[in-house]
Amino acid sequence: MADSGDRRRFIYNLHEQSKPVGAVRWLPSVSPFLRLAAMSVLSPPAIEIHSFSSQSPNPNPDLNLVSSYPLPSSATSLTSFKSHNYTLIAASTSTGSLHIFSVNPYDGKIESQIISISDKDSFHCGPIQSIDVETSSTGECATAGEDGRVNLVLVGEDKVENFRVCESDGLVAYTAVKWGSPVEFVTGGVGPGLQWWDKRRPGGPVAQFKGVWGRGTVTGMIHSIDIHPSRKHTCVVGGSSGAVYAWDLRWQQQAITLAGTGLEAKSQPFSESEVWEVKYDAFTPQVSSTKVLPVMMCSEDGFLAVLQQDERPVQLLEEPCAINSFDIDPQNPSDVIVALEWESVGILSRGREETEMA
Amino acid sequence: MPGIPSDSSSLIPFALEGSSQPPPVYPLQHGLRAPIHRIHISWSRGNLLNVTCLRPPPDQQEEMAREDDGIGGKAIEVLLGGAILEGNIGEHKRRRIAYESVKSYAFLHDKKISLAKMETGDNLSAPALTYWWQYTLEYSKSIRDILGNARLHRPLIEDPKNFLKPEEVEQPIGTKAAWELMEIFYVDMQLLSWLPERLVDWLEGYDSLLSKTETVHSKLAILQRKVTSMRVVEDEPGYWNGLAAALAVGWLDVVAKLLRLHGSYDPDQFDKRETENGLVEAVVLLVSEMPRMRPNLPNGKLGLCYQTKHDYIKGLEKWRVKVSGLESSPFWVHCNHRPTRDGLINLLHILLGDAKHIADATSHWLELFISHLLYIRPLTNGLEGMGNLAEKCMNLKPSANNGLTSLLAGILSENPEIVLADCLKAFGPWIVAHAVDLLTANSEYTDGLLNEERYQLGGASIGELYMLVYAQALASHPLTWQVAPAYLSTCLNQGRGLLEILLLRQPVQNYRVVLKTLEICHLYELGNISTHIMKMAGMYQWKHGHKGLGIYWFQQSRDKTRLSQIAHKLFDNIGKSLSDDSFKQWEGLMELLGSDVGIAGGLEFLHKYREFKRSLQQIVNGGTVEAAKKSTELLVQLMRNPSTPQRFWLPLLLDSVKLLEWRSGPLLGVSETNLLLGKLQELSMAKLRPDFHGGELKPNALGDVRLALAKNLGRAILEES
Repeated sequence: MADSGDRRRFIYNLHEQSKPVGAVRWLPSVSPFLRLAAMSVLSPPAIEIHSFSSQSPNPNPDLNLVSSYPLPSSATSLTSFKSHNYTLIAASTSTGSLHIFSVNPYDGKIESQIISISDKDSFHCGPIQSIDVETSSTGECATAGEDGRVNLVLVGEDKVENFRVCESDGLVAYTAVKWGSPVEFVTGGVGPGLQWWDKRRPGGPVAQFKGVWGRGTVTGMIHSIDIHPSRKHTCVVGGSSGAVYAWDLRWQQQAITLAGTGLEAKSQPFSESEVWEVKYDAFTPQVSSTKVLPVMMCSEDGFLAVLQQDERPVQLLEEPCAINSFDIDPQNPSDVIVALEWESVGILSRGREETEMA
Repeated sequence: MPGIPSDSSSLIPFALEGSSQPPPVYPLQHGLRAPIHRIHISWSRGNLLNVTCLRPPPDQQEEMAREDDGIGGKAIEVLLGGAILEGNIGEHKRRRIAYESVKSYAFLHDKKISLAKMETGDNLSAPALTYWWQYTLEYSKSIRDILGNARLHRPLIEDPKNFLKPEEVEQPIGTKAAWELMEIFYVDMQLLSWLPERLVDWLEGYDSLLSKTETVHSKLAILQRKVTSMRVVEDEPGYWNGLAAALAVGWLDVVAKLLRLHGSYDPDQFDKRETENGLVEAVVLLVSEMPRMRPNLPNGKLGLCYQTKHDYIKGLEKWRVKVSGLESSPFWVHCNHRPTRDGLINLLHILLGDAKHIADATSHWLELFISHLLYIRPLTNGLEGMGNLAEKCMNLKPSANNGLTSLLAGILSENPEIVLADCLKAFGPWIVAHAVDLLTANSEYTDGLLNEERYQLGGASIGELYMLVYAQALASHPLTWQVAPAYLSTCLNQGRGLLEILLLRQPVQNYRVVLKTLEICHLYELGNISTHIMKMAGMYQWKHGHKGLGIYWFQQSRDKTRLSQIAHKLFDNIGKSLSDDSFKQWEGLMELLGSDVGIAGGLEFLHKYREFKRSLQQIVNGGTVEAAKKSTELLVQLMRNPSTPQRFWLPLLLDSVKLLEWRSGPLLGVSETNLLLGKLQELSMAKLRPDFHGGELKPNALGDVRLALAKNLGRAILEES
């Protein structure tokens, strides 16, 4: 487990699920007492909405299944967002379909299905590995697939439009996508490269980052990308060999290594296995404005940790099994939900003292 | 007979001759209409069986096939003996136990390894062993917690009529009972002198598992249901039977609670029952003062504890005098209620250890055994004495044996092999794999027996064999297979081989799963296995058109052979068509292959080749002399460039024929023609070598080129001179 000193300020509860959980996401909550979370589960594949009460008298609240949205195959990516006062959930599957549906923000019940696309020719053939929804203006959903296609899906008034941004005929397998601005997004895939795309300049990526992974000794895949809304030129990337690095569009030639066997020889790597997800952590205070903002990561060898540039990583959890996914509640950044390999979900609440101490 | 189905919906396994038990029949729902023509059975992952049932081919039974919408057969998956634990717990609970227990197991084994390292020799020495049982005890307790410890919930307000623990909290599981039994006998050395009392406690927790109908627990459960509706409990024979049964197995708190339900305690009485009440209360008092040979009692339990044998015997004698004093007391005459008098005296007889009364009060031989330990032979110690007593009780009360009772019998017979075999049969592979460490904790003899390498087991020991069985059960499930390596890695003889097979059999379709498998390879330093897995993943992705992912895996596994094959294939295709689309493909592929294309020239060559092809196309469509000259220049550049692959020489030479036959004079000079002739000569020599890649060309192609070159040479000589 984590350092006992840290542990005392945390409340960590494990909830056994009796089925494998893939990804977890907080849902925007309207009541401070009832919290909602979405998770993708297998056997049978579905998106489940769970609720739990976060009232103080009960330190160990149970997760209760509220509703379930069946999927045609296992979910590969999951995201939740708010649009026109609707709580929406988008999920992609391993057979190349995309589903978006709305959820009642008061009780977590599924209200209506908005999108369900599945088309081998005009959409994706093969797993969609990553999706991201642009929430600030257009509401466009970018999908990136193992088949080397990147599509944008626009949900209109009464119709659904999708158009192809890239078709690489399988030469590139995309595994991550993230919007940077309403017209720009970043993709990552096999090999260490990142591609920066601009909707206004179709035909190909406008910038490419080709870093050498681990000083050329290993290459790897990118599993997750995050871009902070206030620093749209920097993306943090998590991938193979415990690598977490930040890439700044203004200094394209060099990336800043936050963890893992990076570009320059640094101290002992923190984790050597796959980093499945990275996210900016708004809860951990920023040390210096010139440095990369604090980033949270989860890994195959069971770590959940906060990384900062030129600082020692702060380990939050050390589980005996892989942490496949996590999410930081945008409304309460102290709360983190994690999905564990061994059919369980954990909820970590970081106490307020932590900020005072730090 | 195997292979031929007996009826439409069941398969009968082949029975061995001379086996005493009838073969078990597992009905299999395949949903096909009879008759079934053929059955194929094959093993899938782990203990999953694939059964394919086929109906007769349509030409034999055409009419029937038409009726059935053409369903000619079906493949079914059958999971055999999938129980990691016994039946009354769900699949997900079993997986949970598997996940949780691996931590404790790995911890204990790490300890063992580090202790062995500290000692110079391989075997643990005496001081290390004294600590060792404590480690094992910790391990045993953590496993016990995993199996469930929620049984001690108590309601806030106790109903006086509820004398049994509420059932709904959690049904005890047999595996936990078996585990505790082994812990009592094999691990906990401190409590060995209080063995009888520990068994009493154990029975209290798990009596309901002995048999469904014939136990003290079942008797009391019936009484508990009835007691709320009974008006006068002491008139009911069930009440007194229940009391005697509970007392016989030492559930003193239950006895005290039940006795206090006696009608004489009721404040509104018509008749005078003070004496009766006094007698009941006297029995309650005696029961709650019963001497017990144990260090302490949990809250709410009755009796007086004695730490040493000497004190205990003294206390017991005093207490027995009191009991027999009450039995012969003159007050019984004044007790008018006959059932009360008889019932109470029966209780006193049990307290005094009357064998007949005890035998009447108990139902199962194990209960009889426990009450003998409590009232008749409380100082029994040593397995031999207990074994004899158990045998006697079994003869007195023959009852159907189940997993738990045969386990106890096995333990008392001091035969660890039987104990493990019984456990495997009754509770599945999980408990056996984890119990080996319990059995060997304190006994060098057992340690030798279970960990000795045996020739007939292929060098494995019995302990290892059980570990392998459990690992196999884990490996058969897609969710638990990741736990199996932790166990396989402790099997020194065959674990490694099986681990390699397990890893190689994992699916490669999903790259995340592949990465998870590779992580395990990395953990156990199986470099060659991870190379294999990456090659398999590469082949899968390449075949499915995910060229980028395929090449990535080949590069990761440093598969030079396949990468050069891909490069060859790429160049084979380049000659055929040069449309923009396919060119983009090749460009991309070439970029992906990078240095793996080798000396073949890479992107530079591709671009030049394309340029040449384009200009040639223009000439064929009717171009100018300048265009023709430019294209000749490109040709010569390509031919001079050492990075141009040899396989492209011939297609280039063939293309050059068009330039050579240019109508308005020779485009190539003498030296350039000689260069081409030289290449042609080299090619003719290379053709004889076995590794030559000629492509698909006409047989007289070389001759045509030679002729054209010779003609051109002639024209060029004339021109230049």
